[in-house]
Amino acid sequence: MNIVVAIKHIPSIADDLPVKGNNVDFDSVDFVLNEFDEQSIEQAVLVKEAVGGTVTVVGVDVIGELDNVLHLALAKGADKAVKITGDDPAADSHQQAKWLAEAIKGLSPNIVFAGVQASNDLDGQIGPMIAAYLDMPYIGGVSSVEVSDHTATVNKEFAGGFGAKYSVSLPMVVGVQAASKPPRYAPISKVRQVAQMATIEKVAPSGGVSSGLSFKKMAPPVVTGHAEMIGGSSKEVAAKIVELLKSKGLA
Amino acid sequence: MLTTIEKIVFVALALVSAGFTVHGFKLIIDSIRKGRPAPELKNVPASLLNAGVKVLFQQTIFKARKALSAIHMGLFFGLITYAFVNLFDVLEGLVPGFDLVYGGAHIPNAPTGLINAFNLIADVMSMFLLVAITVFLIRRFIVKDKALDYRENILLNPKVKAGGQQIDSLIVGAFVIMHVIAHLMSQSYRLTNGAYPFMPIASFLNSIFGTSETGVHVAWWISIGWVMFIIPYLSRSKHTHFFMAPVTLGLAKQNPRGQLDPAIPLKVIEGQKFDPGAKFIHDLSWKRALDAYACVQCNRCQDVCPMNFAEGAPLSPSALEVNKRYLLKEATFGSHPDRLLLPLTETVISAEAVWSCTTCHACVSICPVGNEPMADIVDIRRRMIVDGAELDSGVQNALQSLATNGNWMSKGKRLRGRWAKEMEFPVKNATEEPVEHLWFVGDTASFDERVIPNTKMVARIFQQGGLDFGIMYQNESNAGNDVRRVGEEGLFEQLVEQNMQAFGKAQFKQIVTTDPHSFNTLKNEYPQFGGKFEVKHYTMTLLKLFEEGKLTVKNKLSNYKVTFHDPCYLGRYNGGFTAPRKLLEMLGVEFVEMPRNCENSFCCGAGGGQIWMGKVAPGERPAENRIKEALTTFGESTNEKTQLFIVTCPKDMVMYSDAVKTTGNEGKIEVRDIIQLVAEAVGVEEPVVAEAVAA
Repeated sequence: MNIVVAIKHIPSIADDLPVKGNNVDFDSVDFVLNEFDEQSIEQAVLVKEAVGGTVTVVGVDVIGELDNVLHLALAKGADKAVKITGDDPAADSHQQAKWLAEAIKGLSPNIVFAGVQASNDLDGQIGPMIAAYLDMPYIGGVSSVEVSDHTATVNKEFAGGFGAKYSVSLPMVVGVQAASKPPRYAPISKVRQVAQMATIEKVAPSGGVSSGLSFKKMAPPVVTGHAEMIGGSSKEVAAKIVELLKSKGLA
Repeated sequence: MLTTIEKIVFVALALVSAGFTVHGFKLIIDSIRKGRPAPELKNVPASLLNAGVKVLFQQTIFKARKALSAIHMGLFFGLITYAFVNLFDVLEGLVPGFDLVYGGAHIPNAPTGLINAFNLIADVMSMFLLVAITVFLIRRFIVKDKALDYRENILLNPKVKAGGQQIDSLIVGAFVIMHVIAHLMSQSYRLTNGAYPFMPIASFLNSIFGTSETGVHVAWWISIGWVMFIIPYLSRSKHTHFFMAPVTLGLAKQNPRGQLDPAIPLKVIEGQKFDPGAKFIHDLSWKRALDAYACVQCNRCQDVCPMNFAEGAPLSPSALEVNKRYLLKEATFGSHPDRLLLPLTETVISAEAVWSCTTCHACVSICPVGNEPMADIVDIRRRMIVDGAELDSGVQNALQSLATNGNWMSKGKRLRGRWAKEMEFPVKNATEEPVEHLWFVGDTASFDERVIPNTKMVARIFQQGGLDFGIMYQNESNAGNDVRRVGEEGLFEQLVEQNMQAFGKAQFKQIVTTDPHSFNTLKNEYPQFGGKFEVKHYTMTLLKLFEEGKLTVKNKLSNYKVTFHDPCYLGRYNGGFTAPRKLLEMLGVEFVEMPRNCENSFCCGAGGGQIWMGKVAPGERPAENRIKEALTTFGESTNEKTQLFIVTCPKDMVMYSDAVKTTGNEGKIEVRDIIQLVAEAVGVEEPVVAEAVAA
């Protein structure tokens, strides 16, 4: 079973996002692995542990620091790592999907996993676009995958706590919402060991596409209100609330 | 005294007894030697001698349970005396004419004075022994002191559960009583010339039972026969304690308390490759096996363990030791070497217990024989992590964040110095310009909104005191103290490397830190990675500023009644007891000491990764227990003074503020960092910020 995981290296939103010109200031932001991709790596490894095969992790190296992420994936149980030397932090989802699809084609995958979305791809385009380029079916919002022979049984989540079970014939692309088990922890000693021994295959980006969209302006969100904690005894708090309501003409 | 036949029987029995004894101790020593190498010890004869002196004066047991310790002392001296008593009894049996009663009157040129003195001591010690052993037997079998028991939820070897130790205690207790009585009787039967003032008890017995040649023989055989049985038995019971306790104490850890032993032994052994930490018993260092033989399950460690009270977690350091001994015993003396191949988490300590240790060091500090149960726990964690054991989700999140962000709070690196950028004066970046004091702020003090006001106050006080200081902003990573204690050695090393790189960029004379945990690892563990710095806790730096007159108390804080909580990693680990107390004294507060203070301080429950845990044991938490202790110490509130619980650790601020709320004691006691009091006394206030207007 050839299992492929397409991952994304994205700006961390643990920091305030710095803006430069009409885009994120990529030089002063840390890049992290998309958290949904952590889930899809775990799901891929779980499938491999269940039915055998190899897991290949593929990602676009947008800032030249993807090795760390790939080492982590290898330490968690992936067998092979491929990085596309995109070297363009501004490469959008359309572009990354094309590059990823071209790289994945050559791996003749039976199943492709991708995070269902990312903080810079909230509409979750990457998975469906890869599926389109590879001419495979796509199913997103998935919270567990079981594979037998040429079929995958997946649970897909819907709003309001509803879910549905689908049976899909392989090959296919899965947009992972959550793995069927929480992602495992890779001890750093193992990650470091992998980092010393593993070889990462480099692939040149192939095929240019454009989303047809361009940034007009980017700015940090404007704070529109705030909460104020009122301290003191319950009487003092009550008095302050009354005062506030009065000042706003509500009482 | 003995007939020829008796002598032959005696020699034969003595040889059998010696054979079993030698065999027993050989098995014990073999089982200890199977352990991994331990960190090298320096000057072993001196430390053994030192331990011998400690044992002789029974110093280490008086750290707790004073009355029982005195009884133990009686037992100890009694047994030492009886070693000589037995020697002389044997000589009396074997050497014709050798008889010490009446000062050795039958022996030509006998040192009568010396013999009289010995006889008196032996006679009196017999009484001591009988009283001591009776008290211990009553305590165990009649009063059934709960301190000697283990809670239901604690993993115990089936034989321990079935009362293995009770049987040991009963046999050795019965031995002591019968042996001493038999000896006294054998002496009393010898007193053919009536009362002998240097044997008051034997003389008294003689006045009742008279003299008897047969009696001497029978009593002698009971007394010495018992000894020949009991000595080999000791090697197979918990009473290996008698022999191993002084040895363990003599070979106890020499490195600083705050320096964990390496996950893989430093000593290279040809053809042997070690995995980090321990899965099986012989993965532990040989000293950890020695611990098991030295432990007599007094359970003082269990008394002080913050995770062993009420319904808490299933952790008992002493159960760990007794389980280890039984595991080794079943493999060596018994027929179960196969059990050595079971994971420690199935045989000696449950995984749940492994993960509930706070690494507060209370069990190690209190242990009279120098055992380190905590070291076993950390080693077991180390291997579990490497083996990919399923971790508590909170711990896993923290470790993952530490690996990517260098802090456990899932905050971006660049946010670390944000509080400093909000200050009314510039805070130097130590990686960009030279400073005298490099302030290692730590995660909680840098990121936790509840603690940041205190962090800013520390900066203001440093500024006020003219301290030339700077921080490392985003270059600082978590120091790794708790990462190491949670068992993630690889991540610890990564964090050390990151910090060492940052230190390399900085120019400074010493490090000052607000966090006792960072303080501990920077001071005791970084030197092994080449980071030899002078490291101070902020209480020490503050005290110096006051002593040098750079800070002065303007307002005496006599309106506060305060108590102080010693953080484990400042106090017990590094002896930082005085600076905070001296500071409080200078500030003019009314100070009361909690019963558990300094070396005996009670852990807040946050250390060793516990603060990261998603799942918490049911029942009262250590911090809640501690707040209650503080309130009891304060006694009836007079309402005249505000009652404060003073902390010097950012984690304590968080833990105890929560505990005050969860115990419903808001308004009765308030948790404050010592810096808040310093600020008030020195007259430094938070700058007035124009009140934000709600939009």
